[in-house]
Amino acid sequence: MKFLLLYIDPGSGSYLVQMIIAGVLAGLFYFKNLWLRVKAFFSKGKKDDAAESED
Amino acid sequence: MIKEKTAYQHHPASFKDPSGFVFKANGKYYRQVNKSYSEDYDLLMSSGLYKELIDKKLLIPHTEVNENFNDSPDWYKTLLPEQLPFISYPYEWSFDELKDAALLTLRVLKISVKHGMILKDGTSFNIQFYEGKPVFIDTLSFEKYDDSKPWIAYRQFCECFLFPLYIEHYHKMDVQKLLSVYLEGIPASTIAKLLPARARFKLSVWLHVYLQASVNSNNKPTNKAATANFSKAKLLNLIESLQSAIKPLHVKTTIQSTWNNYYGETILSKNYLDAKEKVFRDFVSDINDGRTMDVGCNDGYFSKILAEKNNNVIAVDFDTQCVNKLYLDIKSGETKGILPFCIDLTNPSPAVGFNHAERQSFAERAKADTVTALALIHHIVLSKNVPLHDVAKMLSDLTRQHLVIEFVPITDEKSQQLIANKTNYHKPYDPEAFENNFSDFFEIEKKQIIPSTDRILYRMKKR
Repeated sequence: MKFLLLYIDPGSGSYLVQMIIAGVLAGLFYFKNLWLRVKAFFSKGKKDDAAESED
Repeated sequence: MIKEKTAYQHHPASFKDPSGFVFKANGKYYRQVNKSYSEDYDLLMSSGLYKELIDKKLLIPHTEVNENFNDSPDWYKTLLPEQLPFISYPYEWSFDELKDAALLTLRVLKISVKHGMILKDGTSFNIQFYEGKPVFIDTLSFEKYDDSKPWIAYRQFCECFLFPLYIEHYHKMDVQKLLSVYLEGIPASTIAKLLPARARFKLSVWLHVYLQASVNSNNKPTNKAATANFSKAKLLNLIESLQSAIKPLHVKTTIQSTWNNYYGETILSKNYLDAKEKVFRDFVSDINDGRTMDVGCNDGYFSKILAEKNNNVIAVDFDTQCVNKLYLDIKSGETKGILPFCIDLTNPSPAVGFNHAERQSFAERAKADTVTALALIHHIVLSKNVPLHDVAKMLSDLTRQHLVIEFVPITDEKSQQLIANKTNYHKPYDPEAFENNFSDFFEIEKKQIIPSTDRILYRMKKR
């Protein structure tokens, strides 16, 4: 049982996780964007499906 | 002289957040905003966030009432939100209802960030279903966004939404009963043990479940300085990652559930359904007022007939796949007046939470002016062995005025299937016993045999 969890504020556990996740995602999105740019370069003229612009 | 105490009822579920509370006065639900929340409330209203959320129908609209009903020294504002016809809980939602509620929460969060605010909690109890769609109801969940900090409600969001959805997605099993026990969501450490090994190979699962479980397990209060360099871009990445983790999750409807092919497979299907519809339409033609509850709604064929004239139809069934199918149907269709939920009438949602009062039982919430119970009684009496008299009592507790109920006799093909391997059901089970037992609670107004079957449709009035 993780009793320690009861004595910390609800956010702090998740803060550290989010720091790590944000790090991983930053790298991931960097390569994703790079890939999208490469793809866009080779498919010039073809319109990429518009990113979700609802909000 | 003692001042007469105002009889405004503080809602028993509304105590956690010191920003304000919900109370009932003169038959309506109001929300008090406390002074401590005044800055955040003013920002919500002035930043354009409230307007955008209302325009997109994502938040329940409210009007301000300039009256301190509770004579409270903390009073800042009183809000009168648009009143909801029915309150449901996450453990009564089907897969896609929970999924849409999760995506709504993330969408609200994203819009909030755009306006310089953030959600301070991420519980699924912030969502209700209204006019066929989920809507955010907790007007006091927004606070000023500090872009150096991560999302305080991230863990709660995962536990209340993402993890239960993972369970349903990976195991194709119902998660409602589990959620009715884990009111604050299912912890990462528990989910990590429940998910199949193959889930580990998915990056999003690894990040949100396994990483979180392992960080939580050797938890120390986090060094504030270490988390001080979070940013808006990082938060938006996190939201996008959660969105793309949730969007592809699904439950296959190809699995043969209890009912999902009920009408399709029965020999009588088309003729039976047409005949029943004709009698049913005749029986309900003059009852269009108030709330109607279709218990054992199956795929909602008859709920939709009720919704033609009434936009306050609650459709419940214990088969979560039927409920899910009906929800998706309503979502993509024209009928908006039906709210479908997963309820097992022989084991309905209990009163749970703090002091047994935080979340009401189904019976406390479900009273309806008209109740319809088609092709249901044989399941309760023959499969679940509930005596006829008890079924009548239960239905009368749910009903305010009318009950439209179908009696399925023992000779019926479906009844025969149910008793194929059992003899110890409550006897007598025949129209006479049915009428006698129900007459203690109802007066039979109309009665008609459904042509080419032995089934009988009754319309009754509560005594």
